[in-house]
Amino acid sequence: MSELETTQRPSWWKRSDAKKAIFLWVIFTAIIGYTASIIQSRAMGSPASENMSNTINMVKIFTWAAAPVAGLVAALTITTLLGQRHFGDNPPPEAEHEIRNSPRVAATWVVVSTLLCLFAVIYGMVLVQADENKLRTANPINIDVTGQQWVWNFKYVDNGGAQSADLYLPVNKPVLFHVTSTDVMHSFWIVQMGIKVDANPGYVTETGTTPNKIGVYDLRCAELCGLYHAYMQKKVHVVSQADYDAWVQNQGGNA
Amino acid sequence: MNKRYIAALGTVILGAAVIAGIGTYVASAKNDSRVLEATPAGTMETPEGTLPHYTLDMSAYPDSMSGSHGADGGVHPDWVSYGPVTNFKVPAHSVITITIKQYDSGERLSNDFFATVHGTLDGTATLDGQSITNVDPEHVGHTFTLHGLADAKSQLFVSVPLPAVEEADMPDSGYTTSPRVVTFSFITGDAGEYVWNCEYPCGDGTTARFGGPMSTQGYMAGNFSVVKA
Amino acid sequence: MTTVTNRPASAGPSAPKKALIERLSIITGLLLGIVGAVLAWYLARTFLPVNTDGSYIKTRMDQEVFIAMIGWFVGFMTGIGALIGPFRWLLGKDLTHDETLFYAGKDQGVKRYFRYTTDHKVVGIQYLVITMVIFFVGGVLAMLIRTNLGHAGGNWLQPQTYNTVVGLHGITMVVGAIIMITGPFGNFIMPIMIGARDMAFPRLNALSFWLVVAAVPPLLSSIWLGGIPTGWSAYNPLENQAPPGMDGFIMAICIFAISTMVAGANITATAVKMRAKGMTWNRTPIFIYGVVASVALALPVFPVFFLSQVLSGLDRATGSTFFDVRGGGSPWLYENLFWIMGHPEVYVILIPALAALMEMAPVFTRRPLFSFNLAIMGIAGISGLSVLVWAHHLYVSGWAPLLNGPFMLTTELISIPTGMLFLVLIGTLWRGRVWITLPTAAIYAVLFNFTIGGITGIYLSDVSADAALHGSIFVTAHFHYTLMGAGLTSAIGALVYWFPKMTGRMFDKKLGWTAFWITQVGFNIAFMGMFMVGLAGQPRRVGAISAFYDKGNSITTMGAYIIMTGMLVLLHGVVVSWVWGTKATQNPWFAKSLEWSVAYPVPLENFDVLPVVTEDAYGYGKAQS
Repeated sequence: MSELETTQRPSWWKRSDAKKAIFLWVIFTAIIGYTASIIQSRAMGSPASENMSNTINMVKIFTWAAAPVAGLVAALTITTLLGQRHFGDNPPPEAEHEIRNSPRVAATWVVVSTLLCLFAVIYGMVLVQADENKLRTANPINIDVTGQQWVWNFKYVDNGGAQSADLYLPVNKPVLFHVTSTDVMHSFWIVQMGIKVDANPGYVTETGTTPNKIGVYDLRCAELCGLYHAYMQKKVHVVSQADYDAWVQNQGGNA
Repeated sequence: MNKRYIAALGTVILGAAVIAGIGTYVASAKNDSRVLEATPAGTMETPEGTLPHYTLDMSAYPDSMSGSHGADGGVHPDWVSYGPVTNFKVPAHSVITITIKQYDSGERLSNDFFATVHGTLDGTATLDGQSITNVDPEHVGHTFTLHGLADAKSQLFVSVPLPAVEEADMPDSGYTTSPRVVTFSFITGDAGEYVWNCEYPCGDGTTARFGGPMSTQGYMAGNFSVVKA
Repeated sequence: MTTVTNRPASAGPSAPKKALIERLSIITGLLLGIVGAVLAWYLARTFLPVNTDGSYIKTRMDQEVFIAMIGWFVGFMTGIGALIGPFRWLLGKDLTHDETLFYAGKDQGVKRYFRYTTDHKVVGIQYLVITMVIFFVGGVLAMLIRTNLGHAGGNWLQPQTYNTVVGLHGITMVVGAIIMITGPFGNFIMPIMIGARDMAFPRLNALSFWLVVAAVPPLLSSIWLGGIPTGWSAYNPLENQAPPGMDGFIMAICIFAISTMVAGANITATAVKMRAKGMTWNRTPIFIYGVVASVALALPVFPVFFLSQVLSGLDRATGSTFFDVRGGGSPWLYENLFWIMGHPEVYVILIPALAALMEMAPVFTRRPLFSFNLAIMGIAGISGLSVLVWAHHLYVSGWAPLLNGPFMLTTELISIPTGMLFLVLIGTLWRGRVWITLPTAAIYAVLFNFTIGGITGIYLSDVSADAALHGSIFVTAHFHYTLMGAGLTSAIGALVYWFPKMTGRMFDKKLGWTAFWITQVGFNIAFMGMFMVGLAGQPRRVGAISAFYDKGNSITTMGAYIIMTGMLVLLHGVVVSWVWGTKATQNPWFAKSLEWSVAYPVPLENFDVLPVVTEDAYGYGKAQS
């Protein structure tokens, strides 16, 4: 059947609906990619660690990789609407063809989507591995984090075990959080640093990052933990090393 | 307008009214809607200058017969509770002195962090007339722990342990005549909505024991509004 | 000879003395259920050992609640008549021919909808109504959530009330979405579509529906038993410390899981064994594939859901420690069990929804379905992969970081078969003659919404991005785009499409279009706003929010009110069309599948003469006209 078609019809890209669709595809891809990536990076705010910069970049790249897909879906569907529409209670006349398949289109579609998918997987794996390696090789400050309904508290184990409900971190110094819970599950999430790990009763989980900008950031609980889950949050203060040492000593620890 | 749209509009209005009715009903169901306002007590010298001073008095009971739940204790007479109410209102940028009478016994905290006084003036509290910075984590009855959203505003975090009444002093019925009295002061920041709860696991559950009264406003948790003076 | 002479003497439906089977209905079910609950509760109160003094495991209340609910369950199922058949078997007999006809709802008018009726068309209508009731309840709860978050600080509802509202919204909507296609259309339409007289196991069909009904009171009772603070995922140990309302939730899930398993076995058997002569797998409509894939997927995973809740219930009621670290259990075990059900479950919802669209697409473009084989590969691929992706919900749990990579792979691979279904839909629209109707509009809307839902899913499937987005309200927006934007929109399209067959009347076009546009616009406003605040770091399931998120949440709340308006118009449309709508012709869409070959009302056993199928249902296009 397809051989018959190719002899009777002009090449597919010369058909008017295909031209329309390709035109719309280019336009939609540009619009979707541009607006979505701008809105996303605005909404995600400015990063306070390399993890978060990487995540924001990745979201941007994923968006640009996904824009042609979304653009294609939009272009094709809108082209079909621009074609032969029919209103009323009675059906339109039958379509002018009875094509049941197009192995070429199907194969292209599957191969392209597989490639996109593999790109996402490989890129994602590389990034995870990079984060993981950084965490293990650096010589970090260790901080014990305990979640208890509905308050976080911190033990600065490398600073004489000072305890506080406030989280202060020195800038540009890797930090490793050892997270646990005394009761239900919580999730330790520093929004602008793009790190998160659950606090489980009876286990210690780990996550780490290197804050790279002095400022005040947000720590939130990201796992429903009961009555005051909404209030289980705290400011994270990233300060200079000198300020950090002063603060820790003030809390009864040693610098 | 078409008749059919008017009828549809009628359904929308009716439906919205039903939902609004259900919403109003659900929203009005509060365990404790009463609010206690702090009492003015002149001014006080603090490291941050002279500030208006206010006081609040409350108690922590081993049951619900004396809180806001009526003489019969309400639905859960055996639940531990704070009283006389569990919602408080205090002015912003002021010193608040809270006095808590603690009538309950207690045991070991699940987290020693809460055996230490946090966020008060000088980091101290007064226990039965003596100044303390921390108590024995093995004998804590309850805690009063105040916290809120991490907004751009100043963050209030106050946590004070309330030591347990000795088992020997716990009568078989009624309350002990010698409650532990804890007093502490702190400075409020900008106006905002905060919450407080107890951090001694004294409720239902096996791992966590934060169920029942611990997870219900009107018992061991409530609202704490800081309003513009 | 003797049987023939004896037959008039046996108590048929027209006999003056009413047989037991004729007295049973939902009323006796409710009565016996309440009696059973009260009796069981009384016995439990009287005979259960008291809590030992000083024991911190206060289990007695939970035991009482569970026993009372089991009493309700047994009482209700007895009262509705579910036990008559099994009881007869116990006596070594079976139902007589007349009784079987009575069970099928012969000549009972409206009453048959309130009985243990086995006719698949009655069960389909029952499912349709209960789905709408469930969505109404879930919708009201959604409005409470959005109203609470409409202004800074929240706290319009008490926090414990808010958490209960969130949990109930979640579970009612999930249950509603699971049954929204396979319930009404899988039961009413599917047997006719394959040319069968009824389901393979008509009594199991009735059982599956009445089990859903039996699950409702335990679930709603949780409101008065202290609520459910856990959300619908009911993670331990939060579930462990929750008030007795949690027991209602557990009981409801257990009953619902049984219902799903029963329905799954029944629908699978029907589609495999009861297809008309000549309906080879190549000629079987794609909707049948979708429904079968959905319920067959539910078959292995819902027992896991059942199990997870039984173990939780044991932990609560007997002090066992399956999920309690102090007793050697693990909360991670619960998370795994839950998501082994939880992720295939979203495909249980989505596959039949998309299959319904693929069924409708050829009808409204007047051309054959594009690449039937690819559609089947897509459905099979999604079903197969969906049981291998659950741990992407555990990326940040700390459970097994080494597994993050493999689960990222399986999760992202699932976009390939999903893409195939997109191609089938778009390919069918391409160069067809698009007949603009509500079902057509649903196809377009789903393609739009599901593209957004799918792409945001790719972000979430990535481990690094998930560390930033997991547990944020971005996730909530993502799955509303898939389950509501794609799933529910498909179901509404399917309802309009099959409405004439199920009710004999056409769906009011003007009301339908009004509802469609209001709902779609509101939906995109609401959940785009939610994406924004999610990216900016607002957690899920919070009842109070920082002022920073006010704007985004106001937008979402506004959108939610618009959706509410649209949904109420739709509800109005359903009622008005059902009662006063224009009478439909036998085949108003001029479709070729078998369900349109029977007139309304569809007779008791569907076909006088069973049809013989010689080609598939997609023979549209030039050659056929």
